[in-house]
Amino acid sequence: MAVGQRTPDDASAPAQGWGLNTWDSPWLNFKFLLGAGIVLLILLFGLVGPFFWDTDLAYTGAGPLNKPPVWAEGGLPEHPLGTESNGRDMLAQLILATPSSLKVGFLAAIIGMGIGMALGSVAGYVGGWWDHVIRTLSDSAVTIPALVVLVVIASYVQMTDTTAMALILALFAWPGPTRLVRSQVLTLRERSYVRMAHLSGASALEIMFVEMLPNMLPWLAASLTGGISAAILGATGLEVLGLGPTRVPSLGLIINQATTNAALVRGLVWWWLPPIIILMVIFVGFFLMTIGLDEIANPRIRQFSSTRRERTAAGELPPVEPVEDGTAGEEEAALEVDDLHVHYFTPRGEVIAANGVNFSVRKGEILGLVGESGCGKTTVAMAILQVVQPPGRIVQGAVRIEERDLVSLSGRDLRRVRWRDLALVPQGAMNSLNPVTPIREQMADAILAHENIGRAELEQRILNLLNDVGLPERVIDMFPHELSGGMKQRVCIAMSIALNPQVIIADEPTSALDVVVQRVVAQTLLEVKERLGVSMVMIGHDMGLQAQLVDRIAVMYAGNLVEVAPVESAFAEPLHPYTQLLIESIPSIRERKPLNVTEGLTHDLRDPPPGCIFQFRCKHVERICRERRPELVERDDDHLVACWLYEPERHSLIELEEA
Amino acid sequence: MRGLTKEYVLQRFLMYLLTIWLGSTLIFVIPRLAPGDPVSEMVGRLSLDAGYIENADKLIASWKARFGLDAPIHVQYFRYWGNVFRLNFGYSLSHFPTEAWSMVSRALPWSLGLLTVATVLSFSIGVTVGSLMGWRRTPRWLQMILPSSLAFTAIPYFMFGIMLIYLVAFELDWLPATGAYSRRVDPGWNLPFIKNMLSHAILPVVSIVLTSMGGWALGMRGLMISVNNEDYFLLAQVKGLSPARIFFRYGVRNAILPALTALALGLGGLISGSILVEFIFAYPGTGYTLYQAIISQDYTVTQAIANLIILVTATSVFLLDLLYPFIDPRITYKRTMR
Repeated sequence: MAVGQRTPDDASAPAQGWGLNTWDSPWLNFKFLLGAGIVLLILLFGLVGPFFWDTDLAYTGAGPLNKPPVWAEGGLPEHPLGTESNGRDMLAQLILATPSSLKVGFLAAIIGMGIGMALGSVAGYVGGWWDHVIRTLSDSAVTIPALVVLVVIASYVQMTDTTAMALILALFAWPGPTRLVRSQVLTLRERSYVRMAHLSGASALEIMFVEMLPNMLPWLAASLTGGISAAILGATGLEVLGLGPTRVPSLGLIINQATTNAALVRGLVWWWLPPIIILMVIFVGFFLMTIGLDEIANPRIRQFSSTRRERTAAGELPPVEPVEDGTAGEEEAALEVDDLHVHYFTPRGEVIAANGVNFSVRKGEILGLVGESGCGKTTVAMAILQVVQPPGRIVQGAVRIEERDLVSLSGRDLRRVRWRDLALVPQGAMNSLNPVTPIREQMADAILAHENIGRAELEQRILNLLNDVGLPERVIDMFPHELSGGMKQRVCIAMSIALNPQVIIADEPTSALDVVVQRVVAQTLLEVKERLGVSMVMIGHDMGLQAQLVDRIAVMYAGNLVEVAPVESAFAEPLHPYTQLLIESIPSIRERKPLNVTEGLTHDLRDPPPGCIFQFRCKHVERICRERRPELVERDDDHLVACWLYEPERHSLIELEEA
Repeated sequence: MRGLTKEYVLQRFLMYLLTIWLGSTLIFVIPRLAPGDPVSEMVGRLSLDAGYIENADKLIASWKARFGLDAPIHVQYFRYWGNVFRLNFGYSLSHFPTEAWSMVSRALPWSLGLLTVATVLSFSIGVTVGSLMGWRRTPRWLQMILPSSLAFTAIPYFMFGIMLIYLVAFELDWLPATGAYSRRVDPGWNLPFIKNMLSHAILPVVSIVLTSMGGWALGMRGLMISVNNEDYFLLAQVKGLSPARIFFRYGVRNAILPALTALALGLGGLISGSILVEFIFAYPGTGYTLYQAIISQDYTVTQAIANLIILVTATSVFLLDLLYPFIDPRITYKRTMR
């Protein structure tokens, strides 16, 4: 089913949980359930009430006048909630009025929703002229103030019962759902599973109900509960003004009669307050349902509040365990990553996205960090930059630039190091520029955050930077949406070299671009590097591209580095079986060979196996591989690999242990 | 100038005219769909009061001629439009020598003053609260306090108003319950009057602000959370910008765009949404005037106010549409792409 689809990038985007089991279902949202419970209770009061209380007492002259509730002085047990100025029993009135107020709301919202779904799906699915007409109509209908027109209508049309009222209210309940359904259909239509269904010959109705409706459900439900409370509010407003049906009891009518009889001044609290309380409880109930449904529909909101809750529950964060600065001692290192551990704290366990990652980038070199999607390479990049997103966290390790550990820095100290020493060329250049400000401002604020320079100098510097990456000067005043993908990426490169940083992290800088533009961007990166002598970490999964760009390559698998080697020897003589697999899978024009790839991870990242991380996919696996994890060891000149294959003593090692 | 293209302005302007046309036509059509006509009904009421009226038929006919109700429907419709353009809605039926438009213009300042203050307050407080609630770097103590400001969100404003009147005006006797000013002060630009006017405005403003700011806050929170996850937000952090700059220029600046649209729609409600509050507080604004006109079946005043409200709402949306390309540079681009 479509609902279960998830991005394969499991490590960097922790499971958002469309329920693996029922107890995990997002529908079990506390706010939603509490709200639904409240509304049900109120409904029950109106439905069961008539069996326990004589509703005939709700009519004029049924009892004595203006008696307070039974607990107040002068109250009568036969009128437990008191009576009003016409001798009507308050309890009986409330029992009759509550369900009729709810009925109006439900009826109006459901009719509106029905119209909205029909119009919205036609507009979204059929498109063209229909879409234009429906969109124009619903756009201008939203602009018309509902209550005014309602009041005007109500003053001309005598509403005899609640159904008439609901029909009139429904006139204003359709534009919201129409717009919602239209935009949902438009987004869902582009999803691959809907296109698949279309190609496989499913009818429009089938696609609508089988593929689209389940995905829209939380949104529709939120719109429905919002619509119900809006309709109840509209109806009650009319009733309070005395413009609703006057012969049918309703909560608004009670308030109207109380205010017109000066119940507030006369201190007849029990007349006007109970209907207000019931209405407030109803509105609170629907409100809770609506915001609960919003959380269900929008996983981002859900994740935001749950990470906050976890953070609060865990109290203060434990300090990150520092690492002794002993082994790394490479003198010409620009960047050192030392025993880095990053975990994602998901509701279903800790995902280990980086497990003791160790590498250094030498001055002036490009280090390629490669691995398949979900291996944790982007997580490592984010950890170097100190922007691991919650619920992820660096739990151990150090990231050093010029002897300074970035992990231990925070606040102002960290901000000072950022961009000045360590810049980023982001993965999604498409969305990495602020859409509402011109390029000038976005480049300027990076510079001005770290340097104090005048206007003219600033302008000249930005123009030079644009020039450096081969962009025309007019780009400075353009907005991101006016640039092509390749131009945006070059703006990002220009921005990254603005402060002449020590290290630039390039996170798959070309992956979203077409092949020709990839060339241009890669070329730009190389030129920049040659000219400035900057060190780079180039993250990517395209082995072919890496082979041409990088000096050394680091291969990552399931959160672990498995091989680090100069690019020539890595390609000529790959040592780790996983690296061999990656290189074999580079397609070649000269020969056609079968793709020899078993897709994806074979173990759960929350619970890595003892021993080698690659054991389930490795064809050379031995006993020691299942029991002990191999260390990253230098096996050849500057060629490090974490694999037992190259340990001559491996058999004796395991026997030694047994002895 | 960047942003405003000719097609865009033209398209928005046509939309503006369409909205006004739809709304005003609705107001023209509805009374004529109802059984009976206003004049016969009024004469009927008069005869009920007086017991009997001589020549009732003639009276009806002459009044109909006077109000132009004897003409064919399309002629009436064109005349109606002519009147709408000239803001000429005829005489008020319930306050006869007064013109309908002068009744409306007398009430207008009260509504505008009350609701502008209330809307601006509730929008700015709500957007601030929501932005902070949706930002990861907000201090934890603030994150704990902020949700409490949403306490009154679910309660309809007029019910909150009734309770405020009872508690603050009657039980505690701190503030006046109803009206815009006391009879004992002279209206004018003098200190006692202004003080008196302000004390009358406090309760209605408070009841609107406390119940409506939560809506802004919740909406803004959701928008802010979305922006929090955008790539440009991350890049801003990596650039080492100050938290304040990230919050305002990258966060709020992007998240507020949809909220502004909602505000423009709400501005139309400056006049209409006030009916219930003005009714509860007997505040002499356009909403209360509309209510009284409807109760006394004063059709000309009703029409004048309803048209005014549609005009104001449509105009504020149109103005926002014109401003929008400057706030969000993408908008004309997107529109012209379609």
